[in-house]
Amino acid sequence: MMMPNLSWILLLPTLLLGLIFFIPSDKPTLIRRISMVAILLPFLLSIWVFTAYDSVAGGFQFVEQIRWVKEFGISYHLGVDGINSLMLLLLGVASFAAVVASQSIKDRIKEYYILLLITIIGTYGAFLSLDIFFFYFFHEIAAVPVFLMIGIWGSERRELAAMKLTLYLVAGAALALVGLIALYFSTGLNTFDLVVIQQHLAANPIPLAVQNWIFPLIVVGFGVTLTLWPFHTWAPIGYAEAPTAVSMLHAGVLKKMGAYAIIRFAIGLMPEAAHTWMPIIATLAVVNIIFCGLVALTQRDLKYILGYSSCSHMGYILLGLACFNTISLNGVVFLMFAHGIMASLAFALAGFVADQTKTRNLDELGGITKQMPFIGTCFMMAALASAGVPGFANFVAEIMVLLGSWDQYRWQTILAVLGIVITAIYMLKAIRLGFQGPLNPKWNKLVDAQTLVEKFPFIILLAVLILVGCWPLIISKHIETSTKTIVENIVKK
Amino acid sequence: MFPSIAWNLISLEVLMTIALVGLIIVDILSPKKTEGNLIGIFSLIALFGLIGFWLTQHDLSGSTFGGMFIMDSLAWFFKGLFLITMVFVFLMTEQFFKLSGKRSNAFYFLLWLALLGMCLIASSADFLLLFIAIEILTISLYVMTAYLKSDKHSIEAGMKYLILGSLASGFFLYGVSFLYGITHSVRFDVIQGFVSTHPMTPMMLFSLVLIFSAVGFKIAAVPFHMWVPDVYQGAPTPVTALLAVGSKAAGFVILIRLFFGVFSAWHVEWSLVLAGLAAITMTYGNLVAMFQTNIKRLLGYSSIAHAGYLLMGVTAGSILGASAINFYLLGYLFTNLAAFLVIILFSIATKSDAIEDYAGLSRRSGILACTLLLALVSLAGMPPLAGFFGKFALLMATIKSEFLWLALVAAVNIVISLYYYLMIVKRIYVDAPINTSPIIVSLPMRLALGVAMAGIIGIGIFQGPFLDAAMTAIQGMHF
Repeated sequence: MMMPNLSWILLLPTLLLGLIFFIPSDKPTLIRRISMVAILLPFLLSIWVFTAYDSVAGGFQFVEQIRWVKEFGISYHLGVDGINSLMLLLLGVASFAAVVASQSIKDRIKEYYILLLITIIGTYGAFLSLDIFFFYFFHEIAAVPVFLMIGIWGSERRELAAMKLTLYLVAGAALALVGLIALYFSTGLNTFDLVVIQQHLAANPIPLAVQNWIFPLIVVGFGVTLTLWPFHTWAPIGYAEAPTAVSMLHAGVLKKMGAYAIIRFAIGLMPEAAHTWMPIIATLAVVNIIFCGLVALTQRDLKYILGYSSCSHMGYILLGLACFNTISLNGVVFLMFAHGIMASLAFALAGFVADQTKTRNLDELGGITKQMPFIGTCFMMAALASAGVPGFANFVAEIMVLLGSWDQYRWQTILAVLGIVITAIYMLKAIRLGFQGPLNPKWNKLVDAQTLVEKFPFIILLAVLILVGCWPLIISKHIETSTKTIVENIVKK
Repeated sequence: MFPSIAWNLISLEVLMTIALVGLIIVDILSPKKTEGNLIGIFSLIALFGLIGFWLTQHDLSGSTFGGMFIMDSLAWFFKGLFLITMVFVFLMTEQFFKLSGKRSNAFYFLLWLALLGMCLIASSADFLLLFIAIEILTISLYVMTAYLKSDKHSIEAGMKYLILGSLASGFFLYGVSFLYGITHSVRFDVIQGFVSTHPMTPMMLFSLVLIFSAVGFKIAAVPFHMWVPDVYQGAPTPVTALLAVGSKAAGFVILIRLFFGVFSAWHVEWSLVLAGLAAITMTYGNLVAMFQTNIKRLLGYSSIAHAGYLLMGVTAGSILGASAINFYLLGYLFTNLAAFLVIILFSIATKSDAIEDYAGLSRRSGILACTLLLALVSLAGMPPLAGFFGKFALLMATIKSEFLWLALVAAVNIVISLYYYLMIVKRIYVDAPINTSPIIVSLPMRLALGVAMAGIIGIGIFQGPFLDAAMTAIQGMHF
């Protein structure tokens, strides 16, 4: 009998969430403190899970399972391997940074933290679940809280943004659900248990004709979450109008659930169909990189630039997914982590600037690094990371993806490299217009992040980014043990 | 020779009748000027007694009255649904009297009659008894719909419901007469025997279409839905809730008995037609619901859409499909009753059902806003709420029966419906209130809202036992 370690990651914040319901809303400091604890505890647990995961032994560890709905073969089944233990760590860092960055929220605090906690618990649940039903279940929990958070605490065009984001994501998820249920019936096992299905399908794959129509449902469905072109338009506006913590979490972590689902359910379970469909995805990935990159070039709004940039970078993840070799799949998981941290950092900084100046327009900003040296420097680093400068985690990840894709997709890889140049251009443009150059006299009284609490989210995210960039081995060992089996399975076919 | 009657099978209905008669006697005997709501309280007590009695009937099975009346697991399940629905409807009625100012005990008697009719529907194994049971339910609903004599919407609703309802009854009888002509019986077991040995004939099809149109009227499936928006809007809110939950569930128990039992041998012939109806019904309901400004009317159209989702289960024609219907109805019960409870409490405070008046409800009453949020999100089918797993089970059944296109239509519909539900959520939580005065909710009503919310969340998270119950009901059914 194993200790239910992973369940604590879900239970502790849920219990504290229940506690918050009973605290009267006129005690904001207490609510803030409890929420911080509720997010810190699973963060610490996920650090512990990540370090305790034995990457030599591999496979799923810390497994716990409770039968839930026996008629459908649904079980509450948690466990981690190298991929999702890393995702837990990403969520832990990003959610903690996000909750610290939520200090600027002053209105309707109780509702805010309740919704934020539900979103984070749902995301933890999705990454922990080894049951397809529960993955979907947890992954959809976040939809309505995110809608409300953008709707209530967002900026100017928040209502449109909230509606667009939610409808796109739910439409994608509903499509994927049809695919997942079809997958369930085509295995004939009467179980949603990922591990059982994996083992069964390795020996007796689903007929190719069936795989070929289930696969696109799942990839396009979750592709919407991953801002697959042309279903990406919800992201820039959604991230731009959302409150800082939501854009940090969504751009950083929640959209990675799409990539995670594609790795686990599409490529992992239907490798034959992957050979049919993934070349098309590789081409779409390049459209993502180039098209969204070029759109980012034309934007004047800081958060829109970051939003399009995030869509553009998802192209590398998609491109890596389309290659059937260990190095690029490692790159994908690495990039999910690195981009997650980088996007959280960039949105946190943009949110800080927007809160202080009440504008996101680069033409109105200008030279604000003079007033905000700390924020300006951090943004410079985030921009360099985003552009794939060595020393940051993104460089390692993108190099891995591109090395892996070179043999299979020659011209796509060349265009993808071009995408890095585009990133560098729009990021440097944003810095030149907004952060460097002559100070716009309007901002003479601007205040930098001063207290440690204010600086904390930026410091922790930047630290992770540089640490992993200089010492990739600390996470790549975990990734390799788990991607190896997936890739072997694909190559065999 | 008088056939022997197994009274224990029909004891629930007998007790119900006794309760009704007893309440009428109490009403006659009690002084006219009493302040308290004696009948309402007695009704609730009697109802809880009946629920206790219903629990003991769990394993009851058999048929009596020469096979007209059956008691099986399906009947037991649905009687439970009806009883729980009635608890909420009685509570709403009490609030409704506060709103309208006039108390009338006859309203309670009509509700009891409707309950009796619904329970008889669940136990009918004979088309004539079924017809009588449907009429008991429908006639009491006619009267209650037109109950607000001074409100022209209520009168219009009652009139519309009466005319279209009578038409549906006529269709039903006409269909049954053909059926009798072909099979020489109105009993389910005889007809089932006939169906399993004979191919479908055009005349049989004609009679089936007539019967289906009458049941389609009850469940509000397109093209028999015309009455829904006006009646939902015009009827007193407790009656709307009863229509949306009880009457719809009664329609579906008939459909389950007919299409999964009596006519199940002809599954292939009708499944495609039902699939088409399901797709049209849900799409129509959701598309029109987007443009509504009155919340009861919106829930009317949404109830049409839900009939469409539920028809997917009938289309599937499998045990899974029927169990999914049962589970869905169970979740739908708590979800819809929660919504109608909020609507009635809100209309007491504001005298309004307009969606725009719900603006900023979250700042006026936290519990009303939270309940309505959960109800709407559950109707849209989002986890971790009851509506999600219901839709999930229906999608499973549909895909298992290889109606992939129907599953995709349903997926699109979920997104459309999410749009208009979220528009209300936005009004409640995002928009600034026009009127900031807080809405006070009394303690018993808080309790009722709490129970409804617990139902929505509980069924949504611990799906296992509820799905078990839904499935056992199907596995043990006689027809």
